[in-house]
Amino acid sequence: MKAFAYVNATSEREAVAALKFDGIALPLAGGQDLLARMKDYIDSPDRVVNVKNALDATVTATPDGGLKIGGAMKVVDLAEHAQVAKLYPAVAAAAIEIGTPQIRNQATVGGNINQRPRCWYYRNEEFVCYKKGGSRCFAVNGENQYHAIFGNDGPSHIVHPSSLAVPFLAYGAKFRVLGPNGEREIAAAEYFTMPTLQNVMKENVLADEELLTHVILPAPGNVKSGHYEVRYKASHDWPLVFATIVLALGGTSGNTIRSARVVLGAVAPVPWRSKAAEDALAGKPLNEQTAALAGEAAVKEAKPMSGNAYKIQITRTAVKRAIMNAAGIKTA
Amino acid sequence: MFRQRGGGPAQPPPKPLDPRYKWPEKPTLLGTSVKRLDGPDKVTGRARYTYDINRPGMIYGRIVRSPVPHAKITSIDLSAVQKAPGVKAVLAWKEAGAELFYQGDPVAAVAADTEERARDAARLVRVRYETLPHVATEAQAMAADAPQWSTAQANTRAGTRQETGDLETGFKQAAHIVEQTYSTHVIGHVCLETHGTVCEWEGDKLTAWVSTQGCHQAAQGFAQALGIPQTDVRVITQYMGGGFGSKFAPDAQGIICAKLAKLANAPVKLMLDRREEHLDTGNRPSAFAHIKAGVSADGMLTAFDATSWGTGGAGQGANFPLPYLYQFPNRRRAHTDVYINAGTQRAMRAPGHPQGCFLTEILMDELADRVKMDPVEFRIKNAPKLAPNAMWIEYFQRGAKQFGWDKRHPTGDPTPGPIKTGMGVSAHLWGGGGRGSQSHVDIMSDGSVVVKCGTQDIGTGTRTIVAMVAAESLGLPISAIKPEIGDTQYPFSGGSGGSTTAASVSPAIRVTTMKALDALYAKVAPVLGTDAQNLVAEGGRIHVKGDTSKGLAWKDACKHLGTEPISVDGAWTDGLSSSGTSGVQFSEVTVDIETGIVKVKRILAMQDCGLIVDKLTAESQVYGGVIAALNFALFEDRLLDRVTGQMVNPNMEFYLLAGMSDIPKIEIVLNNMPERGVVGIGEPPTVSTASAIANAVRNATGVTIRSLPLHPHKVLAALEQERAGGT
Amino acid sequence: MDHLTSPKVQIGVHCLNLRHKGMYVLATPYPEESQFYDAYDSTAYWCVETQQAFGPDGQPARPDCCQGDRDCCKH
Repeated sequence: MKAFAYVNATSEREAVAALKFDGIALPLAGGQDLLARMKDYIDSPDRVVNVKNALDATVTATPDGGLKIGGAMKVVDLAEHAQVAKLYPAVAAAAIEIGTPQIRNQATVGGNINQRPRCWYYRNEEFVCYKKGGSRCFAVNGENQYHAIFGNDGPSHIVHPSSLAVPFLAYGAKFRVLGPNGEREIAAAEYFTMPTLQNVMKENVLADEELLTHVILPAPGNVKSGHYEVRYKASHDWPLVFATIVLALGGTSGNTIRSARVVLGAVAPVPWRSKAAEDALAGKPLNEQTAALAGEAAVKEAKPMSGNAYKIQITRTAVKRAIMNAAGIKTA
Repeated sequence: MFRQRGGGPAQPPPKPLDPRYKWPEKPTLLGTSVKRLDGPDKVTGRARYTYDINRPGMIYGRIVRSPVPHAKITSIDLSAVQKAPGVKAVLAWKEAGAELFYQGDPVAAVAADTEERARDAARLVRVRYETLPHVATEAQAMAADAPQWSTAQANTRAGTRQETGDLETGFKQAAHIVEQTYSTHVIGHVCLETHGTVCEWEGDKLTAWVSTQGCHQAAQGFAQALGIPQTDVRVITQYMGGGFGSKFAPDAQGIICAKLAKLANAPVKLMLDRREEHLDTGNRPSAFAHIKAGVSADGMLTAFDATSWGTGGAGQGANFPLPYLYQFPNRRRAHTDVYINAGTQRAMRAPGHPQGCFLTEILMDELADRVKMDPVEFRIKNAPKLAPNAMWIEYFQRGAKQFGWDKRHPTGDPTPGPIKTGMGVSAHLWGGGGRGSQSHVDIMSDGSVVVKCGTQDIGTGTRTIVAMVAAESLGLPISAIKPEIGDTQYPFSGGSGGSTTAASVSPAIRVTTMKALDALYAKVAPVLGTDAQNLVAEGGRIHVKGDTSKGLAWKDACKHLGTEPISVDGAWTDGLSSSGTSGVQFSEVTVDIETGIVKVKRILAMQDCGLIVDKLTAESQVYGGVIAALNFALFEDRLLDRVTGQMVNPNMEFYLLAGMSDIPKIEIVLNNMPERGVVGIGEPPTVSTASAIANAVRNATGVTIRSLPLHPHKVLAALEQERAGGT
Repeated sequence: MDHLTSPKVQIGVHCLNLRHKGMYVLATPYPEESQFYDAYDSTAYWCVETQQAFGPDGQPARPDCCQGDRDCCKH
């Protein structure tokens, strides 16, 4: 590991100031991603800025009835937070599935959203891929069983690694970002970026000297939400595919879907919003048949790679079961 | 040294067992459940594994390895690394011009004052490579215009051809024929403690703490590779974190460690990291077979014709037993070894058997379906006849009853909904046996007892069974025995492998302790006014047989030794152990047919192991074997990038292993057969689990997956094909 | 069950530096094994001198390779 300077920031401003640096400076929170990257020589920062003590680690109520979650909050605390579970059950459901108890006790909300891809080519030093300044994506002709089935125009074919980003996007969250020129709020839907040759070394709009300080969730309103993850292993594994569904209900019976948000995880370089599934749900009664139709619609535009077409069927199932979860129908 | 098969010199008949050494008819300890003596030390961290050894002035070694799968070294430049901070020694392991055959092939090494500096310094070794074309998969290697894995050797080598009976007749007798291709994949040993060594020289004498399955054997490796007398090498292995067949030698990293220590004139610790462990410490070879097999209308196997192949990596073979266990009167089999540019295979827990078992057992269920027979009934019909070391027929019957096999539905769970449940069965065999172990026992005049044997505990509980056998023989509690193992200063014993340790070590301890007891009787008999042969040791006393009042407490008896302890050597002898084990496993799984995810609900393992020494550690062997095989069935997969030949998952993130929540309920039935003596079971319980799981998946879904691992992509593809009208 | 394959290495024929697991474990043969399946060879070999699966000349350590015609062979 390359020797680095260590800055222990005690406030948001101090942290942001420390990140503005002539050289590579990277923020350290739970360290579940950064330390592994440094040990594996994937990243070799000159300066590491500890932001654990600088960022908010609590949940506060917002005036409009929503919640504001601090970036340094531990995943375990998010998973166990009663208000989060009550208002945004899909966030709690996603949080409790992350990693292992050890990882959840270290990892932070901000770190989960901003972690780098888990692509096995990116994570191995030998493969100098686009993400590491190279000029190819090894997954295209290589081992791509865990890679993208949507948004596959390239140049990179990673799947976005964040479990929390998916429910956050589905609930219409905004991210508060602080930089040397002040703060800004960015809708989760605008935060993550599809790869282009220009921006392929990043997965979002966050600038090098900026920090994600808070996740701001709007009041959920009269919605039902569901979350479903398909995992190869029951724990300590990345989901193969997962989905969060947020449904606004109405109609005389109160069981008609007025509008829907369908967001898929582990299927594209960004948390993937499925407009096709949302359209398929609008105006329909909330039942198993509708759920199956939405699952079907969600995968219509899938473009799998050579070794991951099986993820289409899994996506179909994840969407269907997330909706059934929202409806309170028992699933497998 | 080697047993000749057919044509070799005849073995002399074994000497009859001296009746003094016979296992007791009514043991007080043997066969009971005794907790590992070193359990508390292990869970509290007091036990010091090789990784935990720290010596004064110790520095750290690190190996530079080939980043590519096939290359020639053009040049090695060590100048930059010699000046790096903290560097104490540097060596080139290979020379310019040497050919490298796999990613991870060692090239050079450094030692520095901290582990981190050694890692950083290793990156400063400048190696220039001329990369050569490589082959990363069996299919690539077997293709018509394939590049060669080696500039000197072809990619394939024809192996054994076997033929028995008359195939044509066999297929004529068949009412049904199944013809399919079956396969298993490459997996690693994934020892929790990685391979590695701490080496320290004192003049020309080497002390090496080694994570090894054989301390005496590793000592031979050091001596011969370093060109020093073996008497100048001491190997210590007090605690060891798993080997599974991959740790019988010091390996390159052990020799490199010793050489760095010599160069630096300081003790060196060189433990591999997880990535190196995946790349260069062995693996279980792949196995493929195209099989055509016939079954008669009444369910008898008639013919078996197979072409098989597999890869053991760069230049090593990949053969396996086929057909496995069941009796095909007419059979032919031709095997080809395929070489690819990947780390070389090593013996892995029951070498060849899990592969041969899977390939045969899936076929067995397909054949049973053709004649509409229950898989258990079909297997009983075609299994070898019942014998003490061949208990399959009984296990099929007893196991089926215990497992609730009568509740198994025919192929394809008819229950509505996406979760399908199924049951599967499979059988296995193993040899094992033991011989040759030596031991030494001292009984001191204060009554303390030390038992020394140069075996090692690779995690199976050997230290505990050494103490148990000694305590049983001397009529003492286990706590009165000090077992000393894991050091070449103790009498010779074999490597812990081939399921031979318990059967080699227990008889040696039995003989030596009984000899020591005889010596003690001789001292005590005159005191008690009787003959030595009238004495018996039990309950911590030595007394006259049938008259407990005429005796002495152990300590009081030992006082009569005066200033001269009893110090006795002894060795394994025939009649206290045997070889040959059989086992049957049942499994129940659920398959989610909408996601392809398989979950194992429960396993029943029926296993014999002769005389059970420690029931608890014997059961642990079975638990460990079953869990390892579940990993083989579902999760583990050594994945090489098909383009670059580099491993994509040399870690524990994408090289998957079951967690607690993936491990099912495991029921164990150990068949205690004391009349057979001790028989080891380190390997057999890991053989048949994967096929029992795969057959249960078949029973649940109605589709056959003929290759491992049972990844959701295969399950979904098979279901898709079924819907499209295939088979 | 490496004793099955032990005869593949024969003293006087093969290099003395050839090693496999069966040479380091103390197994006894299973008298009835031949009734159950055919002899086969799943054995992994290494060279005691290099401590790798290749001899000092860089070629594989295997019974078919480690015989008299190789410079590094020891008899």
